[in-house]
Amino acid sequence: MSTERQVSVTVNGVNYEARVEPRTTLVDFLRGELALTGTHVGCEHGVCGACTVLLEGRAVRSCLMLAVQADGTNLTTVEGLEEDGNLHPIQQAFVEEHGLQCGFCTPGFLMTVCELLENNPDPSEEEVRDALGGQICRCTGYRSILRSVNLAAARLRGAHTAGSAEHS
Amino acid sequence: MSVDIPKSLEDFPNSSPRWVGRAVERVEDPQLVTGRTEFIDNVVLPGMLHAAILRSPLAHARIGSIDTSQAEQLPGVIAVVTGEDAKRWSHPAPTAPAEWGTHCLATDKVCYVGEPVAAVAAVNRYVAEDAIELIVVDYEPLEAVVDPAKAMEPGSPLVIEEKGTNVMLQRVFTWGDVDGAFRDADRVFTEKFRWHRLGANPLETFGVIAQWDSVGESLTLRASVQSATHFGLGRAAVLGLPSNKVRVIAHPHGGSFGGKGGTRGTDVTALLARKTRGRPVKWIEDRLEYLTGGGSQAWDRYYEVSLALKNDGRVTGLDVKLLDDMGATGEGFGAISTAKPLACFTGPYTIPVARYDLTIVATNKLPQSPYRGMGPPPHNCVLEQMMDIAARALDIDPAAIRRLNFIPKDAFPYTIASGNEYDSGDYEAVLDKVLELADYPKLRDRQARARAEGRCVGIGVASAIEPGIFDWNAYAIVGVQGTGVPEGATVSIDIMGKISVRVGFALEGQGQYTLATQLVADYFNVGFEDINVVYLDTHSAPPAFGPGGSRLGVALTGAVLGACERLAAKLVKVAAGLFQMDPAQVELMDGKLVAKGVAGVEMPMAQVAGTMLARSDLLPPDVDPRPEATHVWTAPGRTEADDQGRAKSYLTAAQAVHVVMLEVDPETGFVEILKYCVVDDCGTRLNPATVEGQTDGSIAQGVGAALLEEIVYDEQGQILTSSYMDYLIPTIYEVPATEKGIVVTPSPFTPLGAKGCGEGAMHTTPAVILSAINDALAPMGARATEIPATPNRLWTLIREARNQTAGD
Repeated sequence: MSTERQVSVTVNGVNYEARVEPRTTLVDFLRGELALTGTHVGCEHGVCGACTVLLEGRAVRSCLMLAVQADGTNLTTVEGLEEDGNLHPIQQAFVEEHGLQCGFCTPGFLMTVCELLENNPDPSEEEVRDALGGQICRCTGYRSILRSVNLAAARLRGAHTAGSAEHS
Repeated sequence: MSVDIPKSLEDFPNSSPRWVGRAVERVEDPQLVTGRTEFIDNVVLPGMLHAAILRSPLAHARIGSIDTSQAEQLPGVIAVVTGEDAKRWSHPAPTAPAEWGTHCLATDKVCYVGEPVAAVAAVNRYVAEDAIELIVVDYEPLEAVVDPAKAMEPGSPLVIEEKGTNVMLQRVFTWGDVDGAFRDADRVFTEKFRWHRLGANPLETFGVIAQWDSVGESLTLRASVQSATHFGLGRAAVLGLPSNKVRVIAHPHGGSFGGKGGTRGTDVTALLARKTRGRPVKWIEDRLEYLTGGGSQAWDRYYEVSLALKNDGRVTGLDVKLLDDMGATGEGFGAISTAKPLACFTGPYTIPVARYDLTIVATNKLPQSPYRGMGPPPHNCVLEQMMDIAARALDIDPAAIRRLNFIPKDAFPYTIASGNEYDSGDYEAVLDKVLELADYPKLRDRQARARAEGRCVGIGVASAIEPGIFDWNAYAIVGVQGTGVPEGATVSIDIMGKISVRVGFALEGQGQYTLATQLVADYFNVGFEDINVVYLDTHSAPPAFGPGGSRLGVALTGAVLGACERLAAKLVKVAAGLFQMDPAQVELMDGKLVAKGVAGVEMPMAQVAGTMLARSDLLPPDVDPRPEATHVWTAPGRTEADDQGRAKSYLTAAQAVHVVMLEVDPETGFVEILKYCVVDDCGTRLNPATVEGQTDGSIAQGVGAALLEEIVYDEQGQILTSSYMDYLIPTIYEVPATEKGIVVTPSPFTPLGAKGCGEGAMHTTPAVILSAINDALAPMGARATEIPATPNRLWTLIREARNQTAGD
């Protein structure tokens, strides 16, 4: 059997230290070791995107990474989105626009949209498609997801506008 | 006690209902968007072990020996099972057709790639997978049969030798004088079609945790299961347990679409759990297992269809010959998909007579499972192609030939040739609306201009029926007796006035807990925050089937409203006792028990319930003191199938017409959808946002079926589509924007007039896309008859047509 390695990661602002087998995937580590089960496993070969998390702000597939590769990094999972018991505006938009049905792929979509709107607060439909082209949803047909992203983007822009000195 | 279930919102004891019929946010969603919903793989039990299953790499082989000794010695391995354990502790799976099952672990031979051969329970999945690699199986390869036509030939290898044949079922069903209709027809058109295997592919695979109590001889199964009661009965039969010793706890699951499957994996996991001294064993199917050995494959069909018509376009007869390749066994109940078309055999048309020549054959492939629509989508697709072939030959517009043959709105309830009764509809209104939405004449102009530019643009118009609220009698022709389709709900009020709705199915994605909440909120005039929908296991839930067969929205409405009515009757009785009045003078209105015509004599519902809970000594003697009631709803008026399979089976018949314009690139064979319009009539829309979501999602799956999704096996029975690199699921790029309209013809047979709508567009989308492709190809004399119409297939057709033209 392989020798365990020490891994230190910060997930949703909390530091975790653990010993893992080198072959442990990041998603198994998050779900199994850290009990952060909001990140889901859909295909385990990097196509469906259900396991998407943010690593240093970038959307990555946690089924295609090993936990040891994430050593020393900052991660955000779906559990890190809500603040003080309130849904993140992206989560809220998905609820309002019925951007989910079974909800299994949703955490991956939410994290991908987080990255998109962080870098591009006012994406065109084409840019949204490009960002979400690697996420599979089997339930919704994506139309309600597009609406959710638009609503979230508008809300976040509004919040940014309202909160910044230049625009007040 | 009989119960009058409200037929409309006006029958609710509420002067201003706020929720039913409105697009409301779902009560399920806050848990889902925060990742808190308890999907099966999130569950950790004390002492839990993890299973991995060793699967056959060969499609057909005899098993010489299995050596598990190395696996057993691997540190962390707790239990190993093989076919010997399956023989000792279990029976072959129940199947449709009957007696086409095998044990959950191969005993003497394997019959398909992916068939379970052995399994290991270990301290974690990684160790379990290490261990299955240490199991040595000695296979003696046998010739595999993967072509169902060849499988029917004498001398073909036999999938299950004891059967002496690969033909699972062969029967001709005749409804009326079909020969006469074809003899007297002005025109007869015949075409062959091929619908390739595809499957459900929910984003969450199947998962189960089995816990065996060897002293009490009972089994607890936590699983991502769609119909828990039915599932539990099957496991009891396979595992030789009394049905009351199998407890199933369904977990919310990440989609199913009929393809959650998992019965065989559950049986294997249960056998492992017999060997772990009470430690629970979790098995989570991985995606490779799902695609090669799970509930992932349906509808592998070869059709030959003939349509008889008069010169004016009236269809006078339909003759359908179907050969369906069921795979190695009947355990997935995929054969039901060949029976369900009887519920809508002649589509939305008045075709008076029909024949169904059905053959189901076993091959060395994965057994078929259900998939959204359960069989009619391919049937509808070939029927609609025949309508187009006839229309083109008779020079009738595709919309016009459909209009000419539609069942008229004053003919309902209407019994179709194959025996089912359609409840209601206004098909012409639906057609008119979608043609208006699409601006059909202008669309044809656009097409003409595009064609003049040399572009390959086509328009499809297609219509189909969605049978809703299934009954097992629909599947009698393939030998399914069924286990009943009840749906129960218990509504209770606690001492604080809060309401619980207890149901027997777990979340699946269609917003059913929201529907239950809407109904109760309007019935008792309370807010969403006062209501909690609670799931119960099979030991404590009222009789329930859960989602399936486009039934749950309607069935749950019946169950919840029936329970509300029963509870209201109790509250009236108690209040009458407290008011010292006759119960006939007391009624529930706006959440209060009021004395009719006596101002000021009233009591809030919560106070009445509180009195029942706290002071049963004050109640009238004949009143059950629990402020709760249960109702079990079953579709009324279903009939036993006759010798030709005819029955009143599905309770409702929703209908849709889709209009699509698309362009085929002749150089690549790629299809681009330019416009997609849909109008449907599924009766009353209880939560329009949910219905729209079902339509959108179903269109996406229909687009996948029509253009992308195909399971491919090679001649040795090796599966070539075992990943999502090879099996193509529609992404955000492939699913078109749609324009939608609705027509509402309430069902006269259901609570509130809703019709089954969960399967939705899947019944129509593949048909309309193939219709539009063929409209695009028609000028070059080509016709696509294979689904999916992949770029390679279309490119080949176009090339052949061009070569033909060049050669002329």
